[in-house]
Amino acid sequence: MGGICMKKVIYLSIFMVGLLGLSLFSSSSYGANTIKIGIVDTYSGPPATMSQDVLDGFKMVVNEINAKGGILGKKIEFVTRDEKFKPDVGLAMAKELVLKENVDLLMGTISSSTALAVSDFARKEKIPFLVTNSRTEKITGEKGHRYVFGIAENTAMAGRAAAYALSKKPFMKYWIAGDDYEYGHSIAENVWNNLKALKPGVQLLEQTWWKVGESDFTPYITQIMSAKPDFLIAATGGATMVTFAKAAKATGLVARVPIYQHTVIDYGVLGPLGADGPEGVYGTAPYLFYYPDTPANKAYVEEFRKAYGRYPQMFALFGYSAGRLIEKGFQKAGAVDKEKFINALEGMVIDSPVGKLEMRACDHQLQLPMMFGVVKKSPNFKDFLVASDIMMVPSKDFMPTCEEVLKTRKN
Amino acid sequence: MDLIYTIFSPKLMSQIFVGLSRTVILFIVASGLSLILGVLRIPNIWHGSLYMVGAFMTFTISGAIGGGSLGFWMALFLAPLGVAFVSLIAERSFFQHLYEREHIMLLLLTFAFSLVFGDLVKMVWGMEYKSVPVPRVFQGSVHLFGGLPFPLYNVFLLGIGPIVAVALWLIVNKTKIGKISRAAAVDREMVGAVGINVSWVFAFVFMIGCLLAGLGGALVAPTVNVSLGMDHTLIMEAFLIVIIGGLGNIWGALLGALIFGLAQSLGILIWPQFGIVFPYAAVIVVLLLRPTGLLKSTW
Repeated sequence: MGGICMKKVIYLSIFMVGLLGLSLFSSSSYGANTIKIGIVDTYSGPPATMSQDVLDGFKMVVNEINAKGGILGKKIEFVTRDEKFKPDVGLAMAKELVLKENVDLLMGTISSSTALAVSDFARKEKIPFLVTNSRTEKITGEKGHRYVFGIAENTAMAGRAAAYALSKKPFMKYWIAGDDYEYGHSIAENVWNNLKALKPGVQLLEQTWWKVGESDFTPYITQIMSAKPDFLIAATGGATMVTFAKAAKATGLVARVPIYQHTVIDYGVLGPLGADGPEGVYGTAPYLFYYPDTPANKAYVEEFRKAYGRYPQMFALFGYSAGRLIEKGFQKAGAVDKEKFINALEGMVIDSPVGKLEMRACDHQLQLPMMFGVVKKSPNFKDFLVASDIMMVPSKDFMPTCEEVLKTRKN
Repeated sequence: MDLIYTIFSPKLMSQIFVGLSRTVILFIVASGLSLILGVLRIPNIWHGSLYMVGAFMTFTISGAIGGGSLGFWMALFLAPLGVAFVSLIAERSFFQHLYEREHIMLLLLTFAFSLVFGDLVKMVWGMEYKSVPVPRVFQGSVHLFGGLPFPLYNVFLLGIGPIVAVALWLIVNKTKIGKISRAAAVDREMVGAVGINVSWVFAFVFMIGCLLAGLGGALVAPTVNVSLGMDHTLIMEAFLIVIIGGLGNIWGALLGALIFGLAQSLGILIWPQFGIVFPYAAVIVVLLLRPTGLLKSTW
C-alpha cells in the first residue's frame, strides 16, 4: 500500500467522522384549512430525549385541541425536522419550513446556536418563533425582538434562582466545573455573578472545563477533591448530567463536597439513574411531576402517562405551554394573523400544571417558577430518587427585571 | 521545594492511576480498530457504533437478569458476543464482497453502517438516557494516595486491561489463526495460494476486532450515561490513538491509548481550566515527531 493511499484514507476517515449525523429531510402532507406549525429540533443523538419530551407535551395539547374541533374552526397541523444539533442545518430547515411548507409558526430548538440563527431569520421574515428548549438568555435578552418568544427557563433565571438559594448557605470557597460550551459557561457565570453580588465574601478557587460528551470524570473529580472546596458548582447539561452524577457517586465526591447542578432533580436525569442517584446533590428545575401536589399537576401527569407510558420530564412542560399559548393566542387574535397573534401573546396568562404562567410583554419570556431541592430517596418512589426539601421560588423573586433585560438589547 | 513536592505528590500518583483506568477502555476499543485496520485494511468507522451497541446490550441484558450484580457479569460476557455476532453477519453479507475494491469503498460502507446503526439504536432502545448500576462488589471507592479516593470499579478496569492485552497477544502470536492472519496482512494472495481459506480468516479477525468494541462498551456502561451519540466522541479518540500508535499495530494502540489517557489526567492536574487540550496537544506533538505513528505501521 502506498503512502498516498493511506493518507487519502485517513483524510477521508476524518472527513466522514465529521460528516456523521448530517440530516435527512422528511416531508409530510399539506392540509389547506389548518394552522400549520413547523418544528425544528434535535431528534437524534444525546439531546433527542429532551426534544422528544417537548414534542410529547406539545402533541398532548394539539390532540386535545383537534379533538374539540381545532382553533377558529381550523385544526392544528405540525411538521418536524431533525437538525441534528447543527445550526446551519437547522437554519436551512427553518427556511424550508417557511418557504416550502408555508408554516404559520416556527418552534424549536434545544441548540442555542440554532435557536439564535432561526430567531434572526424569524425576525427578517416576520414569522413568530416559539423557543421551546434553548436555555441561552440571549434569546429574549440581547438578541430578543418582536417575533421571538422564550418558553423554557433561561440560564439567567436559573443562575439567579440558584444563587439566591446558595447565598443562604454557609459555603465560602467555591469550585466551578462544567461542559465547555455556551450552556455550561452561561449557567456557571450566572450563578457565580449573582452569588458574588448577594454574598461578596465568596471565593472562587479554580475552574475546570471538560469537553461536551466527556465520558470519564474521575480525573477531574480527584483534582477537585484534593483542593477541598466548600462547594462545587457543576455546570453540566444534557447527557453529561447522568455521567457526572454517576462519577460523583462512585468517587465519593457527593459525600465530601456538596454540589449544585441545575436540572439534576429533573426526572429525565434521576429516572435513568435509578437507585444510583446522587443523594445530597442540590438542583433546580422549573418542573417536577410530583410537586406541587395540586389537582392540575396530577391531572397533567396522569394524562401524560396514559398517552406515553412514562412520567413527564421538565421539558414536556415547555411543549405543553407552547401548545396552550398557541391555542389561547389565536383564539384571542380571532384570526390566523401573525401580527395579531403576537399582540395577543404579549402579557397572556395560561393555566399550567405549575399554576398560572405569564408571557411577559416586555421581553417575551414566559415567567416560570423554579424548584430548588436536594436529591434524596423517597418512600413513594422505589425505582429512582427524587427532590426533597423543595423550595418553590416564584418567578418574581428571580426574574431579571424588564429594565435589566432591555438594557442588554442593543437595537 | 514546591516543585519537588508537586512532582512526587499523592495527587500526581492518583491522577496517573485514574488516567491508566481510562487508558484501559481506550486501549480495548482502539486495539480492535487497529486489528481490523492492520489485517483487513478497513478503516472501520462503524466501530464506534458497535461500542455503543455493546453498552446498550449491557443495559438490556443486565436489566433482564434482575439488574443486579449477576446481571452485569452475564452482560459483560454476553454483550460482546452479541456484538461479535452482529459484526459476523455484516461481514459475511456485506464486507467480504468488497475486499478487492478500493479502501474508499470500504470506508463508505462502514460510514453507511454507522449512520444506519445510529438510527437502529434509536429505534430499538429509544431516546431516554440509560444507566447500568455498578456491580455491588465494585461500588464505592478505596483510599489509595493521601486519602484521595479511587473508585473500586476503576481498580477492576486496571485489572482487566492487562488480561485483554495478554489474551490478544496470545491470539495474534500463538494461535494458528493468528499467525495466518498476520501473514494475510502482509500478503493476502500468497496465503490464499497455499490453500488457506482467507475469507474465513478475515471474518474471524473482523469478529474479534468488533468483539473488542463491544467489550469496551460493556465495560464503560456502568460508569457513563448510556445514550445515543456515545459512538461519536469515542470513534474520534480511537482513530487518533490508532494513528499516533501506527496504523494496524496493536501495541501501537496500547501506546497511543496510554499517551491519550495520561495526557488527559495529568493535563487536568497541571492546568485544570484547559485540561481538555492536553491529549490533543500530545497527538500533535507525536505526529510532528513521527508522522507515521510511534510504532511500525502495517500499511
